[in-house]
Amino acid sequence: MKIVEKFKALPDKIRAIPKKLSDKLAGAKEILTQGNGKVTASMLVMGLGQLIYKQWVKGAMFAFIQIAFIVYFVLTGATDLFGFFTLGTREGNAWYGVEGDNSVVRLIMGILAIMIIVLYAAIYVSNVKDVYRTQCAVDTLKKPVGFKQEAAALLDKSFHKTALALPVIGVCVFSILPIVFMILIAFTNYGGDIVPPALVDWVGFANFGKILSLGQFAPTFFKIFGWNMLWAVLATALNYFAGLGLALLLNKKCVKGKAIWRAFPILAYAIPGFITLLGFKFMFSYGGPINYYIQQGGGEAVGFLGLDAKWSARFIGLAVNAWISIPSTMLLATGILSNVNTDLYEAARVDGASSWKQFIKITLPYVLFATTPVLISQFIGNFNNFGIFYFLRGGLYADGYFLASDTDLLINWLYNMSIDNNYYSIGAAISLVIFVITSIISLTVYVLSPSYKQEETFR
Amino acid sequence: MRKTLPALIAHIAIILAVIIVMGTLGLIAAGLGAEENDKFTGEIERNVTLRILENDTAKEQGYLEELLNAFNEKYAEYGIKAVDANMDQYTDLEKGGPYGYGPDVLYQANDALMKYVDGKHILPLPIEQLECVDKVGEKAWEAYRAKAGGQEFTFGVPVNIQQPLLFYRKDLLPENWETEWDDDKNGVPDVIENWSDMYRFSQQIRRDSNGAKYGYMKSLNDGYFASGYFLSYGGYVFGGEDGKDVSDIGFSKNDGWMGGRIIRQLASVMNLECTEDTITRNSYSRMAQGTYFATMTTPDVYTLFIKEMVNAGYTEQYARDNLIMTDIPALPVSGDLEDESLGFKDMIAMGGVNGYAISSYTKAPNAALAFVNFATSYGMINRRSELLGISPARSDLAEALGGLNETIKENLDKGSIYVMPSVRALAQVWTPLQTYCATIAKDMLDNKNVYAGAEKLKEGIANVDKQIYDAIHTLGGS
Repeated sequence: MKIVEKFKALPDKIRAIPKKLSDKLAGAKEILTQGNGKVTASMLVMGLGQLIYKQWVKGAMFAFIQIAFIVYFVLTGATDLFGFFTLGTREGNAWYGVEGDNSVVRLIMGILAIMIIVLYAAIYVSNVKDVYRTQCAVDTLKKPVGFKQEAAALLDKSFHKTALALPVIGVCVFSILPIVFMILIAFTNYGGDIVPPALVDWVGFANFGKILSLGQFAPTFFKIFGWNMLWAVLATALNYFAGLGLALLLNKKCVKGKAIWRAFPILAYAIPGFITLLGFKFMFSYGGPINYYIQQGGGEAVGFLGLDAKWSARFIGLAVNAWISIPSTMLLATGILSNVNTDLYEAARVDGASSWKQFIKITLPYVLFATTPVLISQFIGNFNNFGIFYFLRGGLYADGYFLASDTDLLINWLYNMSIDNNYYSIGAAISLVIFVITSIISLTVYVLSPSYKQEETFR
Repeated sequence: MRKTLPALIAHIAIILAVIIVMGTLGLIAAGLGAEENDKFTGEIERNVTLRILENDTAKEQGYLEELLNAFNEKYAEYGIKAVDANMDQYTDLEKGGPYGYGPDVLYQANDALMKYVDGKHILPLPIEQLECVDKVGEKAWEAYRAKAGGQEFTFGVPVNIQQPLLFYRKDLLPENWETEWDDDKNGVPDVIENWSDMYRFSQQIRRDSNGAKYGYMKSLNDGYFASGYFLSYGGYVFGGEDGKDVSDIGFSKNDGWMGGRIIRQLASVMNLECTEDTITRNSYSRMAQGTYFATMTTPDVYTLFIKEMVNAGYTEQYARDNLIMTDIPALPVSGDLEDESLGFKDMIAMGGVNGYAISSYTKAPNAALAFVNFATSYGMINRRSELLGISPARSDLAEALGGLNETIKENLDKGSIYVMPSVRALAQVWTPLQTYCATIAKDMLDNKNVYAGAEKLKEGIANVDKQIYDAIHTLGGS
């Protein structure tokens, strides 16, 4: 019901969009109709209006930005922008030292050029708004704002702009650009034999079409997706509650030598995951110690991770993942539990609440509130947990599965089909599908969680 | 509005004009091709540094240092300095080379090197300028040939031949082997001459030791070694004249399915560990303990067996005298280890040819060629063989060294070594093949016997071909 209510609220937000747009348009229309000659000058050449108003520094800065933008486009920007569409026109030939175009670099530089155009457009609008503001001020017999005043405002009233300018640029270059690049790769034929120096081309939605049209794909996809969801839920719940349980246990006053007991799980956490996984693989192998003792006891060797060990391999995967992940949850919960107000427990005891009631009504809501974002990230991490089954049971295909085994998660299947064979574009397309699935789940869980709904509860 | 709007339009027009004019000029400039020129002029570049990528064993055993010192001394007058590239031995030239991070000269297996040809990451070599050109056999050169633009080029210089060998404990042979296990009276135990006798001998060891000891033991799910059983009966990896046609997968072709029957029979004298990599991991210690009589692996791990025998209490001399490396046994023509009526034929094993190639991104191709010429000279390859125990690709040296070196060289020449196809799609072969091999071995050991009949074995290996085809073409195909 709660989800339905959230979705019902959506049309209101959507209805508000045209209103916001019309307000913006009205502002633009006002500038276009009411703007004087100086505004016109700044529209033609950035900063010119400001210079006429004798706002020398600001005017020069705007003018410099326009000049820099034009110089950038003369030197490389225009070629980069064209390269975004063509992805290169000349194939390199290293045998003869012919450098050629690197399609991947062309794509990245093209995205950068587009981002610079967007940034320039934003600065241009701000330049026009600024000169119009000055016009309005002068029209009301005020003096144009001087550079010193503006600079002072940037350190005071508009400090958020100063503080956020560099991080926003950083986020654009180091975060948004790679994400856009990865998304766009899904619309090219990059991969397989088509890697630089070969030229890459745009293929539209062909990769998605290829995935959907594969007859073998759908049955395996749904089998793996079902197991992947089950795995992510079970693994996250197991790690979370076992970690919390361990933290609560080690928080008890009656436990002696807490430091030593806490050290053991941390040791498991400190050992690199793949070494732990290879160790467990050996332990459960036919020649490993577990089978050795089974045979010594008169039993027959068991293929815990063998070809037809579907469920035993899955349970071992869950257990090994718990071994690796519980310590981090335990550490997190230990830190959070140390901040719980002990008066709450005292009051609960006075009211006659049992230990279980105290856990359900005080501890769990408090820890859940504080750790929901971590819980979501653990869910995503488990959903995309590549290592567990790659190391424990990699290198085999199961009957009824297309290029996958019955313990593979979507991420392992993606690796088998794409990265293992350098089909980056297909890999990007499947990644987008996984991204959409995990985003929907995470956002839904987060929006419904106390961390979002009752943000102020524990403040 | 009359003034402001034209100014806005003019501004946009100016920016668009700059973008369109400069972008178009950029496209025109890109269309003007640079002049093509041959890199191997014969004139050795002076005062350059060559980064040499060698394998880890060559570094650990000190061979690379010897090689670099000798080369640097000889070419001191040119100011050339060859240095260790200090990169992982499996460094991918394709990823770093175009950006200037790769080595100048690479030593890798033929399948690793030849995958660089498509992207032109390694140079076609003027091998006629090399001293070893007529000393290396034709089959070894073939591993490094490929067509480009309708013309055939050679992209690597063979150094050594890789072939799986049989390792066995001579001291574990029965005392009466000359009377009981040498039917042809040639002074060589039959158990190492053909797989049928190895199979029977393994059965006998298991019976006599009450299941505690084994004869031949090997992880049968290892596709590299197991593929030989299918190849020996007419199967192949990829079709086409050059064995690179990835649209034709052929493990099931001809009588390839018989390889599956051999694997099942061999599994019957092992245990379930043969369905996973346990045996590969513990064969060194189990051979040293005498739990296993024989196994199959590559010659580069010989010293590991010796070390384990020394750890087990034997003297090094005893270990070297009794841990024997020999050519792999012959297979029955019938494709059945229990039927010798049709005689035996050589087993074809998957192998390869390691060699040198020159990066297309080197600034000193002629100096790099001089290095390759030096490193493949008789003296250096002989030293490499002494230190690393490799089987040289040079015929003159293989003949001079004799023994296994000569046998391996002959095996390559007569086609008993199936050189790993130098195509990227080879990576898709292993998982389906090893899954199938493990399945049929487990089927035998679990007494399920689903794969006991020829039809089921044919169906199984045909399915492997299909899986490999799917893996290569489903997403990669246009």
